[in-house]
Amino acid sequence: MTHKLTQGDHVLHVDNLARVEGEGSMHVVVNDGLVADVELRIFEPPRFFEAFLRGRAWTEPPDITARICGICPVAYQMSSCLAIESACGVTVPEELRLLRRLLYCGEWIESHALHIYLLHAPDFLGYPGAIEMAADHGPVVERGLRLKKAGNALMTLVGGRAIHPVNVRVGGFYRLPTPHELHGIRPMLERARDDAVETVRLVAGFDFPDMVQHQEYVALRSPHGYPLEGGSVVTSTGRAFEVADFGTHVVEEHVARSNALHARLDGQESYVVGPLARYALNHDQLGPLAQEAARDAGLGDECRNPFQSIVVRAVELVHATDEALRIIDGWEGAAAPFVDVPARAGIGYGATEAPRGLLYHRYELAEDGTILDATIVPPTSQNQRSIEADLRVFVQDRLDLPRDELVRQCEQAIRNYDPCISCATHFLDLTVENR
Amino acid sequence: MTGQVLVIGLGNPDRGDDAVGVQVAREVAAERLSVNVLEFDDPSEALDAWEPEDTVILTDAISSGGVPGDIQVIDAIAQKLPTGGWAAGGTHALGLAAVVELARSLGQLPRRLVVVGVEAAQFDHGAPLSEAVAAAVPAAAVAVFDAIDDPEDEP
Repeated sequence: MTHKLTQGDHVLHVDNLARVEGEGSMHVVVNDGLVADVELRIFEPPRFFEAFLRGRAWTEPPDITARICGICPVAYQMSSCLAIESACGVTVPEELRLLRRLLYCGEWIESHALHIYLLHAPDFLGYPGAIEMAADHGPVVERGLRLKKAGNALMTLVGGRAIHPVNVRVGGFYRLPTPHELHGIRPMLERARDDAVETVRLVAGFDFPDMVQHQEYVALRSPHGYPLEGGSVVTSTGRAFEVADFGTHVVEEHVARSNALHARLDGQESYVVGPLARYALNHDQLGPLAQEAARDAGLGDECRNPFQSIVVRAVELVHATDEALRIIDGWEGAAAPFVDVPARAGIGYGATEAPRGLLYHRYELAEDGTILDATIVPPTSQNQRSIEADLRVFVQDRLDLPRDELVRQCEQAIRNYDPCISCATHFLDLTVENR
Repeated sequence: MTGQVLVIGLGNPDRGDDAVGVQVAREVAAERLSVNVLEFDDPSEALDAWEPEDTVILTDAISSGGVPGDIQVIDAIAQKLPTGGWAAGGTHALGLAAVVELARSLGQLPRRLVVVGVEAAQFDHGAPLSEAVAAAVPAAAVAVFDAIDDPEDEP
C-alpha cells in the first residue's frame, strides 16, 4: 500500500506498539497536510501500585514496587529504598551503596542489551524484528544475548534473581555475595565489556534520520560518578535542585486519553529523561573506556538527535560493564548485609536512574511505619510529552512517505525512548482512517 | 536416544498463572529423578540451557483465548510458534515463542523441542494459581512424560 497523507485529512493510528515494553498506541491526526494532533496513549500500572502501597509497612515497597516492571525491577527497588531510608533518617554505609551500584549495573546491562539488540537495532537494519534479523545477523544477535545474559547473571548474583530480585531490602541486602562469587563472574563481565565496545562500533555505523530536539534534559548528578543509584537533579538549562524538591518543580497532570499522568517541569511544555539527558549532563563522569568509545563514535559533549540514543545507550553499556568490574575489583566486603531502618513519622524522597531515565519515589510514613501516601513518577510518563513533541515534528517532515513506511518510522522514533509502559504482551494492529 | 532430557519451567512465580510452567516442572522433578529440570523467570535464559543433541520440553503459561487449564502440546521443531509482536503469552519481556523462534533463526534449536502450555486465566501480581490452572498441573506433567517417552523418537 502506498497511500500517502499529504492530501486531505487523515488519522494514523497504531493500536498496539510492537517492541515497546508494554502496551500503548499511537494516534496522529493530519488535517490538510498539517499535523493537527499527536497522542501517545499508554496504559500504565504504577498508579495502581501507589494506591496498593497505602496502609502497607515501610519495609514493603522494595518488594512490591519491583513487581511493576520485569525489565527494571532494580530501579524501583533502589528508588523506594532511598525514599524510605530518607524518611527514617538513615543513610546506608559506603560498601552497601557500592553493592547497590553493582546490582544497578546488572540491570542497565540487561535492559540496554535487550533494547539495543532485540528491540531497536532491527529498525536500523531494516527488519521487522530480531527474529528476522537473527537469520542474517546471527553473530550480532548472539552478542546481544551474551550481553543480556551477563546482566542477568550479575542481577542474579547480587539481587538473588534476574526478574524481581528478592535479595534487596530497606537498609541493604538480605545476604552479601562472597568475594569468591563476585570474582567468579569477572570473566563473563570482561567478555561483556568487549562486547559492549563492539556494540558502540556497530550502532555508531547506523544511518540516523536528521533530527534535533530542543527540550530540556533532566538527569541526576552524583559525587559518586555517572548517575545510577542516587544523586541530585540537574538540567540542561542550569536548574539544579535536591530530590526532596522534585515535587515542587515537577507537576503531573492527568490526561484523559491515557491513564498515565504527564509530567511538566517548572511549567515547561516538555522535558527529556534517559540516556541522552544523562550523557549531556554527566559525560565527564564516564569511565575512560566509555569516554573513548563515545569519542570514537563521534559523540560530542551532548547528543540531541533522539535516534542516536542507541549510540549513547551503547556507551552506557561500556560504562556499566567497566564500572561493575571496577566495583568487584575494589570490593573489600561489608560489615553487615544491611543496617536497621527503624520506623518513624516522616516524608522521604528517592530518585535513581532507571535504564530509561530518572525514577522518583516519595513516601509519607506514620510513626509506626505505615505508609500514608506514596507517589511514583516513572521515566516514561516524564518523557511522554517529549515523545509526542518529537513525533509532531517528525511526521510533519515526512508526510510524503508511504503510510506503512511512515508508521514504521514513527514506531522507531517512539522506541528512541525505550518506553516502558507496562509488562504485558503487545501486538501491532494498524488502522488508518480517512476523515 | 542421544543427549540429555531437559525439562524447563518458565514463568514468574509471583504473577498468578504465569507460575504454572514452573509448577509443572517441579511436579516432573518430583516424579522422575532422572530428568534434568530447570526453572527460569526470564525465558531468554533457556537459550543457553540446551545442547544440539538434547530433548527439551518447555513448560509455560499460554494465553490463546482458550479455556483456563487447557493443555496444548506443540512440536516446536515441526511447527513455528506464533510470536505476534513479541511474547505469545505470559508476562515476560521476551516470551517463550520469541525465544524459540530466535533459536530457530540462529540455528540453535535442540534435536527435539516440545512445548507443553497451560492456558492461563490471569497474570495478577502476587496472586496464586487459578483453580482450573492448578488442577491442570498433574495432567500437564503427564503430557511432559508422554513427550519424553514418545516411542516415535527412538533412533
